[in-house]
Amino acid sequence: MARTASNGTDQRTPADLLLDFHGPVERYHDREELGDFGMPARAFMEDLLEPIAKAGAMSRLGPLEKVHAFWFAGMSCDGCSVSVTGATSPSVESLVLGAHPGAPRVILHHPVLNVESGANYMRPHEMALSGELDGPYVIILEGSIADETRAAADGGYWSGQGEEPWGPDGRMRTVSTAEWMARLAPGAAASLAIGTCATWGGVPSAEGNPTGAMSLMDFLGKDYRSAFGVPVVNIPGCAPVGDNFTETVAAILYFLQGFGPLPEFDELGRPSWLFGETVHRHCVRGAYYEEGDFAEEFGDKECLVEIGCWGPVVNCNITSRGAINGVGGCMNVGGACIGCTMPGFPDKFTPFYKRPPGSLASSTVARMVGSIMRPLRKYSNNNMNREVRWDVHGDIPSGWAREKSEPGVVSEISHRFYDKLRRSTDTGRNEVEPWGKRAEWTKERDSDREPDLTLRAGATSGRKE
Amino acid sequence: MCFKNLPVEFDEAGVATLRRDIADPYALSVTKPDVGTTEAEREERIQRLMAANGHIKDINMDPVTRVAGALAIHVAADLDAGEYLDAHSQATLFRGYEVILMGRDPRDAIFVSSRACGVCGGVHAHASAYAIEMAMGLRPPPFGTVIRNLQEAAEMGYDNPLHLYLLAGPDYSEAIIRQSNPELWPKAEQYRCPNEDIHGFRTMADLMTALNPLTGQLYREGLDFTRLSREMFAVLAGKFPHPQTVVPGGVSSTITLQSLNEYHSRLAKIFDYAARMMAVWDDIPEFLYSCDERYRLVGARPTNHIDPGYWDDPYAYDATYANCNDWGQRRWSSPGVVIDGELVTTRLTDLNIGLEEFVEHSYYDESSTSRHADDTAGNPISPYHPWNKRTLPRPAGKDWKEKYTWATAPRWDRKVVEAGAYSRLLMTAKARALPANDFIEATGHSVRMLIPKGLTAEAEVEWHAPDQWNALERNRGRAYHYLFSQLVGLNNLLMAYDMMKKGETRVAAVPADELDDHIPSDVRRSVGWWGAGRGWLTHHMEMENGKLTNYQIVTPSTINASPRDPWDQPGPYEEAVMNTPIIEDVSDPGRFTGIDMLRAIRSFDPCMPCTTHVSTQHGTIVREVNTCSCGAD
Repeated sequence: MARTASNGTDQRTPADLLLDFHGPVERYHDREELGDFGMPARAFMEDLLEPIAKAGAMSRLGPLEKVHAFWFAGMSCDGCSVSVTGATSPSVESLVLGAHPGAPRVILHHPVLNVESGANYMRPHEMALSGELDGPYVIILEGSIADETRAAADGGYWSGQGEEPWGPDGRMRTVSTAEWMARLAPGAAASLAIGTCATWGGVPSAEGNPTGAMSLMDFLGKDYRSAFGVPVVNIPGCAPVGDNFTETVAAILYFLQGFGPLPEFDELGRPSWLFGETVHRHCVRGAYYEEGDFAEEFGDKECLVEIGCWGPVVNCNITSRGAINGVGGCMNVGGACIGCTMPGFPDKFTPFYKRPPGSLASSTVARMVGSIMRPLRKYSNNNMNREVRWDVHGDIPSGWAREKSEPGVVSEISHRFYDKLRRSTDTGRNEVEPWGKRAEWTKERDSDREPDLTLRAGATSGRKE
Repeated sequence: MCFKNLPVEFDEAGVATLRRDIADPYALSVTKPDVGTTEAEREERIQRLMAANGHIKDINMDPVTRVAGALAIHVAADLDAGEYLDAHSQATLFRGYEVILMGRDPRDAIFVSSRACGVCGGVHAHASAYAIEMAMGLRPPPFGTVIRNLQEAAEMGYDNPLHLYLLAGPDYSEAIIRQSNPELWPKAEQYRCPNEDIHGFRTMADLMTALNPLTGQLYREGLDFTRLSREMFAVLAGKFPHPQTVVPGGVSSTITLQSLNEYHSRLAKIFDYAARMMAVWDDIPEFLYSCDERYRLVGARPTNHIDPGYWDDPYAYDATYANCNDWGQRRWSSPGVVIDGELVTTRLTDLNIGLEEFVEHSYYDESSTSRHADDTAGNPISPYHPWNKRTLPRPAGKDWKEKYTWATAPRWDRKVVEAGAYSRLLMTAKARALPANDFIEATGHSVRMLIPKGLTAEAEVEWHAPDQWNALERNRGRAYHYLFSQLVGLNNLLMAYDMMKKGETRVAAVPADELDDHIPSDVRRSVGWWGAGRGWLTHHMEMENGKLTNYQIVTPSTINASPRDPWDQPGPYEEAVMNTPIIEDVSDPGRFTGIDMLRAIRSFDPCMPCTTHVSTQHGTIVREVNTCSCGAD
């Protein structure tokens, strides 16, 4: 990046090295020669959608009418694209169709969704480079970036998208995803990395892989700032929760439109309202941990830490947000966390299905505390499972399993004591007489008197009348 | 005797042996398939036409969009004659999943290999689990297998509408038809849809307008139904893609009546929709055939299909190779190979030993070895079989005569076969081995299905195996497969209730902390046979001393996107493009869109991420620009 050179550092980023090798772009496709090949609608997706997607003046809630979004798949499985098509808050179609009030319409250039193919699909990308685009653009990367410098030295690539006349003498050359990112990043309003491959390298960068796969922030370097002054925004997960991505995009757009708050990002560029907590803190099974109650077999309902769950040390929100449309979430349904949102994924979490050794101390403590807490809670829980009326009558009219609910003598006495304690600050016990009701028909809430058998008889006879 | 090319014979017990009269039976020069047009003839013809005709276009389309992953296609098109003379399918991305897996603890394979593909979000995890449990001797309890089946039925519920409405559908939309095939539009406005009463569109023009990308009703509804099925998947597997509950020997899902009910209630919404989907994809081919018979040739290929079956019988599946022919026969969709329209085998061992993977035109060094002579059950395997294959990537220049893609060339009995969700229907129809059930029946040439009552009345539909496979029949087959997969889901849901009734609710063979004890120290080989949205999926592995020593994945799109093989037989995409007539108006070459070939390619539902799961060593790439088979730039 020019920015890197000008601020005095002489550390060349992988992006700098790649662009140093390729040199500047001097020419683009000849539009005439391209014709309509790969363009069966003879129109770009943007033009096709324009009649529906373009907002009228009344719907504009900010300065932006539209934003281009260039989606690239590097060394990816397309799972992030799939996740985003599953998002509902907001959905990708509502953003693309300009149907999300306040947000500008998003002109999405996506290889899995667009109508146009081949060189015609790449044309708006060229326009972004040459400054001819009619609006600001963001770049979005899913998948890791390979170390392309080595391959480029021999005229090759690891992961390519599109051919451009950028070779010697204007010859066609497959352009790597990395090169597109390096060229487009400085002019982008924002650079977004989606999924653990693009944010932290992910599985393609796992041990044993020789491609030198890396994340977008590793590629662009720590001094990278977008045209709007923002470092790389990271939305991790393998695959990420689709809503985490669309919500972040929407939050940035609300801010740019002037009505939304500045979205907060943590020290690694993650949206802090989404990744600020560990997934364990949101976990529906977290309370089992608190009580020292752990799953032993696959399929058990308790806390999964001892069958290999890393949730207590992993930043993620899937247990509270769900995976799609609020449904699912790994631990919610029995899947142990393997840390797929984390920079250390996968190699700091393998082998999977093994209890994290570090959990031994904390789960032992949880077991000890739990051995005290669980009986106490069970004791209160049993009490709460009885109507006051049953306590008064000493009888439970359940046809299911009443023995279990009936308190023993010790329990009954201690609960009487406990209730006194609990109600010691109840202002309902203050020495004032309510005067708006007939006192003699009112049953006192206090239960420290003998069961009122006459009342019971009266109630029964009352129903008979 | 299912093999015509491989020199393999069977004794009375069904055990295969190599013919003894052939010295080097697997040598490429010894055992050769019948090849139609040779590469030399094809090239000679192109040269001749080039000399006589200036209207040959030699173009590379990179990227082909509305497919999953990185695909480029090179074609030589004779616009005057309306023919594709040549086609080369190129996978332009690689990552390294097989390489990453080798040397790891086998417990890593499920979650790591899952990341091979995020479009087929759960299938690799399952295929990997099948392979691991075969190697480790872990038989999942019946409930575990049923929960797997339910997950995978839900996955198909997402995959099929995604393809039909987001990827392929736009090619038949008003936005594209009016521009690429303007001659069809007045006919579409006049054409009364035979299935109007089911899908609600009066004319074909109405239907095509509903297919418009993003704005069309069918497109949007398709997207919503992919979400619904993904919710069903997430109820059991935590998330989609990349499930979190697939474990060696079963699943780790916590299943209660709530989970089954959430699945059930969503499944209930699908059947009405499935009826509409089949009605739409019945009407589109009938309309196009009525307009122009040449649409029967778009994407046409011989009826050569392969599929390993899908969704196990929970009481039959025992995770052994020794019994695989028995439990394979009891799958909800039958394993099999169809050659020239004939079902030649339904045995998984035959599918396995007939499989070879060639790299003549792929960026790899020769990958075959003679490490293993048989399949662990005494049946011979080829040096090119996945159990004998290494992953030795070698980037090289793109040269149509040499190497031009990261996809390999899998062949069965040295024949070019294709894979697809629809192949599952074809095998099931012909094998007639469906488990007893109330909803699906195989007749030998068709599959009859009962659609349970939803908001619309119950109905019976029948899918007939087409005489000529082509782009439209692939799409139609996929629509019927959608219903088929959801009925498999319904059958398995009923089984899940039944098991819950009986108290058979264990979901995995062993607890997590006992997996250690089951990791063998000797050498084991195994295979997971499974399916994906596009059909065939296998994971072959070998482990020794508790460590993965080889891992080989064959995906459906590796099969379909394959390049030429050692005998220059083109891969399925290539062959389908070369058989495709150019129907669009190309009197002005500048207006040539390529729509006919795009329809042909997209009908396979290409999914490139897992086609190109392989990574390279420290190699270099030398690329010759604008190299084409005819030598003309």
